[in-house]
Amino acid sequence: MHAVVFIKQVPQQNSVKITPDKQIDASGIEPIISLFDEYAIEEALLQVEKNGGKVTVVTIGGEEQIDALRKALAMGADQAILVNDPALRNIGSLGAAKVGAAVVRKLGDVDVVFCGKQSTDDETAVFGPAVARYLDMPVLSYVYKVHELDPGAKRVVVDRAMETTTETVEATLPAVLTTVKDLNQPRYPSLLKIKKAQKADIPRWTAADLGLNTAELAPKVTYLDRVPPPPRPKGSMIDGGSAQEKARKLVDVLVNAQVI
Amino acid sequence: MANEVWLLAEAHSGELTAATKELISKAQELAAALGGQPAALVLSSNAAQVAETLLSYGLPKVYSVENPALEHYTTDAFVGAAAALIRQHQPCVLLTGASLQMRDFTAALAADVDAGLGSDCTGVAVRDGHIVAMRPSHGANVINTLGFNSDLVIISLRRQVAPEAQPAGGSGEVIRGQFPQVAQRMRVVKVEDKSNAVNLADSQIIVSGGRGLGSAENYEKLVPTLAQAFNGAYGASRAIVDAGWVPYERQVGQTGKTVSPKLYVACGISGAIQHLAGMRNSGTIVAINKDPDAPIFKVATYGLVGDVNELLPALTEAVEQKTRS
Ligand SMILES: Cc1cc2nc3c(=O)[nH]c(=O)nc-3n(C[C@H](O)[C@H](O)[C@H](O)COP(=O)(O)OP(=O)(O)OC[C@H]3O[C@@H](n4cnc5c(N)ncnc54)[C@H](O)[C@@H]3O)c2cc1C
Ligand SMILES: Nc1ncnc2c1ncn2[C@@H]1O[C@H](COP(=O)(O)O)[C@@H](O)[C@H]1O
Repeated sequence: MHAVVFIKQVPQQNSVKITPDKQIDASGIEPIISLFDEYAIEEALLQVEKNGGKVTVVTIGGEEQIDALRKALAMGADQAILVNDPALRNIGSLGAAKVGAAVVRKLGDVDVVFCGKQSTDDETAVFGPAVARYLDMPVLSYVYKVHELDPGAKRVVVDRAMETTTETVEATLPAVLTTVKDLNQPRYPSLLKIKKAQKADIPRWTAADLGLNTAELAPKVTYLDRVPPPPRPKGSMIDGGSAQEKARKLVDVLVNAQVI
Repeated sequence: MANEVWLLAEAHSGELTAATKELISKAQELAAALGGQPAALVLSSNAAQVAETLLSYGLPKVYSVENPALEHYTTDAFVGAAAALIRQHQPCVLLTGASLQMRDFTAALAADVDAGLGSDCTGVAVRDGHIVAMRPSHGANVINTLGFNSDLVIISLRRQVAPEAQPAGGSGEVIRGQFPQVAQRMRVVKVEDKSNAVNLADSQIIVSGGRGLGSAENYEKLVPTLAQAFNGAYGASRAIVDAGWVPYERQVGQTGKTVSPKLYVACGISGAIQHLAGMRNSGTIVAINKDPDAPIFKVATYGLVGDVNELLPALTEAVEQKTRS
């Protein structure tokens, strides 16, 4: 079977700066693989270990994102592709999903596509369902357990987690699955594999390689403004001789402020 | 193109959800500002009944598709039905809630009908005749104002964006759509309610615990009890979810739930940037921590320095006394 995993590199923590031209500046913050994508990589590896086949990891982004791909290779992915084209900057999650769909089409023989349920920087949760529609595949989002993934029978059965319910859902393959925490325990790569991944040859694909008309990728959303959140009003400390006194004072304050 | 502002209505056992009632108000407000009409969209195995309820809120139009395939949400059936109606009637805006289902739905639908999409927004308004939407990103460290250049704008909206609409009586019409021929490649085999399920996003008061609780037993003993005294729900930091004290569904933060209750009580939580991402928009924040320099105090409305083992039982007692009196 051929599993494709879309991964994205994001700042480890989000104390980012906003530049005067409303871009995000994450310089100086350690880059990591977006958390939910690690579960996606791990699940692809587990399923390919079971069924045989290969795992391809793909990122749409700039040259700096190569580290995330190398880490995925070190975890055990068979090949990595970086779609890097200046014409593909700032195309948003829907635009990235269009590019992602073109990648899957070019790869040709794909049984299953994994991605994170949502990135931890843009947090749109759009890429997975959108790439599925562009590929005309079913999408199973928020997967926390894979019961069956059978490329021969072209069938996948998963559990997914909604707010107050869990659902068991089946679909035909090929399909797109988006992953949440609890799905598995992502592995740590060995030192040997990390070294090997450093030397791996990672092809760079462009919009032209994918036969994409970049005019059709123009985002339909523009950023009119980007600002830090308004500061919270200054708070106050509640003192008291004993725990009981502090607790009573707090309750009085909350009652007076009509919070409770 | 019709200047119609649609909202996707959701109902449970025939009752409109609170989120839907907010969306009705919001759609009415936006339609007025755009010089258009609000309308509801209902996709359900039981759409006729829900459509009647929607008309009683004074909506001039309700588009409805009824089909057994719409009993449980699947992307194929819901997006197929919505896309067909949208192509036919060409609304300029579609509002939905921001539940997990709705975020799956809006992403797939926007791809299908080539719409501009604002996902998980905290506000939407009309400015100079155009729709603008507000959405946080980067763990609530960036507030984005989005503009759109598409014929259709789809926005999934969090709670507390508008007052809940009240029934107003009405004589609007129901427009029945056909359930289209779409590939249905997925099937819901089973739906189960989670045990002790709580939708933290719907709770007005949340008490959360962190590593400062010391152990799973201590958390179990102190945090749910205080939450119960407040008649609220309880959550947790990632540190203790990862430690296995509490299931993931209670995690608050960047990689857990985003909440904005009226009151959030953080107990033994340091206030890491990823935790703040999930709760910094709460109305009132109370922080309880033994370290006076803990970062959580920077966002707290009220801070209590001390040991959770003493303060939480005392607070439970004080709250119970107050609610008894
Ligand atoms: C990519 C990524 C995503 C993340 N996502 C999340 C997320 O969604 N949610 C989240 O919460 N975290 C998240 N984190 C983790 C986050 O960085 C912190 O590690 C975590 O929030 C710390 O949890 P804590 O406050 O319970 O523990 P700690 O940081 O260990 O803090 C414990 C606090 O308890 C206090 N304390 C100790 N004993 C007592 C006592 N007896 N009485 C009173 N106070 C006491 C201490 O002073 C301390 O402030 C994420 C991290 C990363 C890298
Ligand atoms: N530029 C990208 N390159 C590769 N994968 C992506 C990209 N953007 C989003 N994804 C995938 O889609 C998921 C959801 O991202 P988002 O829609 O931004 O919340 C991520 O966790 C990734 O798996």
